[in-house]
Amino acid sequence: MMRRLIVKTQRDKGTKRQKQALLLILLCSFVPLFLCVEKARSGAASQDQVLIRWTPDPVNPSRVAVEVSGLSAGAIKRLRQSNWDLSRWQRLLSVYVGQGDSINASSLPPMLGVYRVESNALRFEPQFPLEPGLTYRAVWRPDQLPGGSKVAPTITSVFQSPRRSATPTTLVSHVYPSADTLPENLLKFYVHFTAPMSRGNIYDHIHLRDGSGGNVELPFLEIDEELWDTTMTRLTLIIDPGRIKRGVLPLEEIGPALETGKNYTLVIGRELRDGAGNPLREEFQKAFKVAPPDREPPDPAHWKIHPPQGGARQPLAVIFPEPMDHALAQRVIRVITESGEPVEGNVLLEDQERRWIFAPDSIWRRGRYQLIIQTTLEDLAGNNIGKPFEVDLFEGVERRLSTTAVKLSFEIR
Amino acid sequence: MKRFALSIALAVFAFGVFIQGADAAKWTSEMKEGKPEFKSMGPLAFGPDGILFVADTKAAAITAIATGDTKADASAKPLKVEAINQKIAALLGTDADQILIEDLAINPISRNAYLAVSRGRGPDAVPVLVRVKADGQPEVVSLDKVKFSRAGLPDPPADAMVGQGNRQSNPRRESITDIGFLDGRLFIAGLANEEFASTLRSIPFPFKTVANGTNVEIYHGAHGRFETRAPVRTFTTFKIGKEDHLLAAYTCTPLVQFPVSELKPGAKIKGKTIAELGNRNRPLDMIVYQKDGKTYLLMANSSRGVMKITTEQIDKAESITAPVADKKGLPYETIASWTGVDQLDRFDANHVVVLRRTEGGSLNLESLPLP
Repeated sequence: MMRRLIVKTQRDKGTKRQKQALLLILLCSFVPLFLCVEKARSGAASQDQVLIRWTPDPVNPSRVAVEVSGLSAGAIKRLRQSNWDLSRWQRLLSVYVGQGDSINASSLPPMLGVYRVESNALRFEPQFPLEPGLTYRAVWRPDQLPGGSKVAPTITSVFQSPRRSATPTTLVSHVYPSADTLPENLLKFYVHFTAPMSRGNIYDHIHLRDGSGGNVELPFLEIDEELWDTTMTRLTLIIDPGRIKRGVLPLEEIGPALETGKNYTLVIGRELRDGAGNPLREEFQKAFKVAPPDREPPDPAHWKIHPPQGGARQPLAVIFPEPMDHALAQRVIRVITESGEPVEGNVLLEDQERRWIFAPDSIWRRGRYQLIIQTTLEDLAGNNIGKPFEVDLFEGVERRLSTTAVKLSFEIR
Repeated sequence: MKRFALSIALAVFAFGVFIQGADAAKWTSEMKEGKPEFKSMGPLAFGPDGILFVADTKAAAITAIATGDTKADASAKPLKVEAINQKIAALLGTDADQILIEDLAINPISRNAYLAVSRGRGPDAVPVLVRVKADGQPEVVSLDKVKFSRAGLPDPPADAMVGQGNRQSNPRRESITDIGFLDGRLFIAGLANEEFASTLRSIPFPFKTVANGTNVEIYHGAHGRFETRAPVRTFTTFKIGKEDHLLAAYTCTPLVQFPVSELKPGAKIKGKTIAELGNRNRPLDMIVYQKDGKTYLLMANSSRGVMKITTEQIDKAESITAPVADKKGLPYETIASWTGVDQLDRFDANHVVVLRRTEGGSLNLESLPLP
């Protein structure tokens, strides 16, 4: 891997030095970074050949240390005997990150890190890895050496951290619910991406467009932290409950986000950034039509279980009368044996989240099994098993607060 | 006589130190010393004796850190730090664009500002705790050797791994929208990214048995008398009469009160909506303060600026149970000159510290006189 090093010194004055510097820059274009060093005659120790090197960790190249070598044995000894705090070390050697549009750069502090005196060099290890695409500047001030000459010139060395590829590659891989007709009181979308994404300002780039092409105002519950999964490949968008139409009363505020009979498009804009900071390869759109609201809690008694034959590894299929929440249906339904042992396997959802498919890791043994369904399972409108999403509190409807499970039995023959 | 007076003074001082020490020990005796691990740092809140609570959403846990920052600084001056995000970025060796300031908390003893910072925006983002002292220079708080205790979020719903082989993971996460401490209890407002259940939990501190958490759902009567299950965005504690209450603000912007005494395990709480502060808005942060003998709420908002809310009639406030066109309940004024305020916390009796976004996009940390 070729890296570029830009070398600047403030004390190169003579033509000979300029030629040396030019030669060095030229060399730097052809040699790996860790061989690319700056040579300078230190004013503090006139016989020293001071070298500033940027040395990447061979295992993790973004971990780059700065080494100042060519110091006299006396200088090394005095440094080793010094008992300096961080600010004192930073007066001798400091490393700055370049910030393009920053306020007065001179007011910005140097990077944090650890200083070590080695047998023939001073080494600075930044606390954090270098960021791709940024420039870093090491400033060596030999006049700050113990006993150093006060007229010794400052030496600066600049390093350009390799840029990441700027080619957009990430796409939206799927949006759940998969159906193209969704209830008026739809609660959530799950947006899946092909690669990890970045946080920040996502709601500026995700829109719900109505049939006329205009954006629905503030349709989503905007959570500052944003509702990503741990891998940052799945984003949860919750339709703001304050924007879901209730009963026969339209909201007097800005109206419901979705209305029965109308068409909408969920638009995931290209400007959304992936983990490498690149935009999406293309915009994603999901068009759908809105159906009347669903206020019926899902009832597992209406599910159809299709048990496979015993002695094989055919998948178990469960058919729901309506689509279920994609994430919850994968997580809160499990299979146990009659004695309560969990059956390990993988879950898939098909047919627009109406078909739950369980592929066991081992062959089915003949006997009775149970499906354990947490009542936190939701349909597309957020209705839980046994309780609708909306409860009119003033009419005394009780809600169960405890998490419970529903069991369905089936037999493998 | 002077010597006697001095002896008395020393004895009183020593006793004071002893009492203070004993009190501090009460909070820290069950902590261990070491390096707490964080996957993320979100909302912050100070408890007693410089103990800082840090919510870790990715790990679904709260860590209490004895910061040791317990020396009152009588000379603490109001803060003014321009482009704090750029300064933190410089310290951490990255671009200001890669710095997210998740929350701000002022240590009520030392007046130092603490910031929960994310270095990076992607899955490998590193959480960093930053402190800003009176000199205005941000510094990273070393957590290599501190006294701390940790509590996982109580009563999490049953989890399972999904996916196949190496791609197996548990995608469920619970966001923590705000935390607050009152009388030995930590309150945690949260929202999951899968099942839609807004929760307000209460766990005792010092953390003992994690499972002893209270899991309470909040109901309020706005939005046409129906329960919304919407998440609490920000909350604060408030005494109404002699009783402690939580005042919680939701999107679009109902302000809801409920008595702390009712937050018991398994309790079903119905909040009382005492104000509708305006739609097309989400509340960001909220504090209580006193001025000229009156008590006010100061609330930062996404699109309705900073509100100074009068609380004089709060004890007589009627419950709002029908939809309102825009505003109703406790009156407020908007502090027009305070633009771009994302976060706020009380600095002293007369000042608040705000994190404020400038037109150029940088963030300033500054003290402002309480309005």
